[in-house]
This record gives sequence, structure tokens and C-alpha cells, in this order.
Amino acid sequence: MDANIKQSSQRNRGIDRLIRRITLIPMYATVSMWAFFNIFVILWIAIASFKTNRELYANVWSLPTSLSLANYIKAWSVVKMDQLFLNSLIVVSVSVVLTLIVAAPAAYILTRVTFRGANFITQFFTAGMGVPAAILFIPLFGMLAARGWVDSLPGLILVYVVLSIPFTIFLLTGFFSTLPAELEESAAIDGASPLNVFIRIMLPLASPGLLTAAILNFVSTWNEYMIALIFTTSAKNRTISLGLYSLQSSMQYTGDWVGMFAGVVIMMVPIMIIFVLLSRRMISGITMGAIK
Amino acid sequence: MLNKQRRKLIIPFLAPSLILYLVFFVYPTIKGLGLSLYQWSGFKLPVTFIGLENFKDLLKDDNFLVALKNSLFLFFVGGLVIFAVAFVFTSFLTSGIKAKDFFRGIMFFPNVIAPIAVVTIWQFIYNPRFGLLNGLLDVIGLGKFGQSWAAPGRIFPAITVIIAWIAIGYYLVLLLAAADKIPQDIYDAGRVDGANTWQMFWLVTLPMIWDVIGIIMVLWMISALKQFEIAYAFSSTGNVPVEAYTLPIYVVVMGFGMREPIYKLGYASAIGCVLLFIVVILTLLIRRIFKRENLQY
Repeated sequence: MDANIKQSSQRNRGIDRLIRRITLIPMYATVSMWAFFNIFVILWIAIASFKTNRELYANVWSLPTSLSLANYIKAWSVVKMDQLFLNSLIVVSVSVVLTLIVAAPAAYILTRVTFRGANFITQFFTAGMGVPAAILFIPLFGMLAARGWVDSLPGLILVYVVLSIPFTIFLLTGFFSTLPAELEESAAIDGASPLNVFIRIMLPLASPGLLTAAILNFVSTWNEYMIALIFTTSAKNRTISLGLYSLQSSMQYTGDWVGMFAGVVIMMVPIMIIFVLLSRRMISGITMGAIK
Repeated sequence: MLNKQRRKLIIPFLAPSLILYLVFFVYPTIKGLGLSLYQWSGFKLPVTFIGLENFKDLLKDDNFLVALKNSLFLFFVGGLVIFAVAFVFTSFLTSGIKAKDFFRGIMFFPNVIAPIAVVTIWQFIYNPRFGLLNGLLDVIGLGKFGQSWAAPGRIFPAITVIIAWIAIGYYLVLLLAAADKIPQDIYDAGRVDGANTWQMFWLVTLPMIWDVIGIIMVLWMISALKQFEIAYAFSSTGNVPVEAYTLPIYVVVMGFGMREPIYKLGYASAIGCVLLFIVVILTLLIRRIFKRENLQY
């Protein structure tokens, strides 16, 4: 009899598991459809960027008949992409590094040293995340224009650094506060100066956080065009996203969709590489501040 | 001892970012608030104090009202769609689906594509003549429903769909991270009691992450009200139609103009003021709604 009960409860458990498996099917179907759409759209754009406009107009679904780079060459030359690509690389890399140089020490001091006002200053910095750039860029433009810094790469770098400070400090204070204190203390007991403790001990410990901040700032600065649109005016100082913007404008008039797709792919390649290599870190980074 | 030594570092470590922030962020923000009370028609021209005139003019400005309506539409209606879908996906991905990280990564992916590239992709999806959406409808035999998806009259809803496509992945990541913090034994207990996925979500997950949802809502509200790039690029000819205006777009239009410069700098600052005011009010409101005693678990 005991064996009977055992058997039937096992059967029930089996049925339970089966039911749960079955309810998973529509869930798989839904998330797979969404994921498929995302992958499909990107692949589709990449494939279409090798077609000719005539092929595209004739059949949206067809594969390119030849693997010609004509669209890429055209997109690259129409908006002088090499200049823009170089501008973006310089502006984005320099501003990402500068942001870390100013924000990391501040975040360290605000989390690891107790002093009156530390909390207030942290909140003062992070409150900047809620301030829409729209309220400040008119006065900022006036200030920079008065010094001749508008429409220059250093001026643009300055704006990017300043606008990245609130988020970066938010992210890094969250990160520094999770680091253990023991190493720091024992190094200090061994006679290391506070500055040495920071450079030799804390910075290496914090490197995952610094890297995360750098990646997230790199991606957002590389992709953005609103600030670049306002703070640069001449073609030689424009960035890659503005290049794609003007490419989009000019090619839409001529109906050159495949050329636009080639521009999209050029713009996406560096970010795709970062995403494939570091998506886990990016995803953990955006949750770092919001969900403790 | 260490703390005492490190105190010497406070000023040199804090000064660079604090000075940059005060001079180039806080000061322009305060100045922007002040400028809303002035008439200023060019960066090199003098300013005239006009009190609240700019704000009075805003109330009579139809374009401003469209921009305001659009920004709030994006926050409320867009937010509703985004969180409905993100919650559904969160509950799916936490109920034992394999390859959870893969799905999360793919859904997050639109967030790293440049907005300008996203817009190009969607203009193509929406295109009435050879677009992907109409092409798809043809393939599955529903060709008669094909249409011009982003025709005048529905430009902003079309823009909202694009933003939702991006944002769903973003808030999914945040919601999943929050759900991961819930101890597994609570789920196990729920399952023993015979709760299904739906009940589990409403009775376990949602109450457990209620305060995090508050933070996530504030993040969404700020990003919705800051929205500029997708909407601005959508028409892509350098002349944004009024229908696509958001508040930040209208600030740029009034402050700098599009093809022809405008330079109504005081007026533009007043719009920025309204924008900041809405952000502050909604932040307080959302915090209030989502405030509650911390759950013990």
C-alpha cells in the first residue's frame, strides 16, 4: 500500500512537471519571436547593404546577386566618412578617459572616506542625471562661444565629459562601496601613503567598475548626435553619427536605401564588436546603480 | 588613522569633477532657469527682462502644446506598453526558460545601436512601398492591411513604437536583475502551494520588487522626457514636422532653429524650465506612489 501511494505521488509529480513544461512552450514562442525579430532586422539590413537599389525595389527578400562593396565605398566617400570616423574616435576616446580621470577619484573619496557632506555631494552629483540637457545647453553654448570653444573638438570633448560626470559618479560610487576595506587598511599599516593606496590598491580593484563605466560612456557618446549637432557647425568637426544623419537626409531624397544601409552598418560595426565581447559587463553595469 | 590621512586627499580628488560640474553643468542650468524670464534674440545681443511673458506665450503656443502632449504621451502610453511587455517577458524568463542570458542579450541589443541607425532601420520597416512590414503582411496573405505606417497623423505613435522596441530590452534587464534578488525559496514555497506563473508574478515577484519598480519608473520618466534623437531623426530632412516635436526638440528648434536659425533663446529656456519642472514633479509623484515600508525577507 505504501508503495502504491508513493507510486501515485510520483506519477502526480511527473504530470506536474509535464504541465509546467507545456506552459513553457508559449513562453518560449513569445520570447523567441521577439529575439528572432531583433536578429532578423539587423541581418536583413546587413544583407541589403550589399544589394543594388534596383534589386531592393524588385524584391525585398532577395539575396544580393554579387558581394559588391559599392554601397560602402559610396557611403564612405559621400560624407567624407574617414574624417568623421577619426573625429568620433578621438572625441569619444578622449572624453571617456578624461571622464574617468576626473570622476574616479571623486567617487573614491565620496564612498571610502567619511566626512561631513559626502552624502550630500554624492546626491548633488547624481541629481544631474535628472536634469535634461535641454535646460542647460543654451547658456553652455553661450559660455563656450564667448571663449571660441564652440565648433572645436576640444569644446565638444569638454561638453561630453561634463555631461557624463553625473552618471559616471553614480555608477562608480555604487561600485567603490562594494569593495572590501581590509586590503586598503593593511596597505596603510605597511606604510603606503594614501595616494599610493588609491593608485596601487584601489584602482586595480576597481578596474571592472572603471571598465564598465568606460564602455557605457563610449557607447552612449559614440551613438549620440544631439550634442554634436548643437556644438559643432563645420563639416570638419562633425562626428560619425552626424555623418549618418546627413547621409540619411541626402540619400532619402535620392531614394538610395542601400547606401543608407551601408552607412548604418559602418556606424554599427565598432559597437557590435564591443557588444559581442562585453555585453555581460554592459548589462551588469546598467543594473549596478539602479538595483543594489 | 587611515581616514585621517586620506582626508588630505578630499580636496584634490574632489575638486576637478566638482569644479567642472559646478561651472559647466550647475551654473548653466541655473542660468537657463533664469533666462526663461528674459527676451534674448541672439548670443551676442543684450537681454531684456520680461518677467513671466515667455510662460504666458507658451500657453498660447500650439506647437508647444503638441510637444508637451507628445512628451507626456511617450511617458504614459509608451510607458504602459513598455512595462506591460517587459513585465510579461520578465515573468517568462524567470519561470525556468533556458538560455535566459541569450534572450536578455538579444532583447537588450537595440540599446547599443545608434538612434540614427535605429531610425533608418525603422523607416525602412515602415516604408509603404517596399518596407519590411508590408512585405511581411504580403507573405502571410494579409497584404490588404499593408499601409503607410508612418503617414502624417500617426508619426508620433510610429516613433513611440520604435522607442518602445528599444526600451523594452532596457527595462527588462533592470526588472530581471531585481527579480534575481528575490530568494529562490519564496518561489519554491509558492510552487508547493500550487501558484501558477501568473499568480507567482502578481503575488510574489511584483510585491517583492515594488520599490525597485519605483526607481525604474523614475528612470523611464526621465529618459522619456529627455527624448530627442529618435523623434528628431525620424523625418531626417533637417526639418522636423511639428507632429514629431518633443519638449527637448522644441527647445532646440526655438533656441537654434533647424534650417534657418531662430535664436529665441529666452523662450527656449522657458520650455526647458517647464521640462525640468515636469521631471521634478513626476519624480516626487512616482516616489510617493512607490514608497512603502521595506519588506522583510
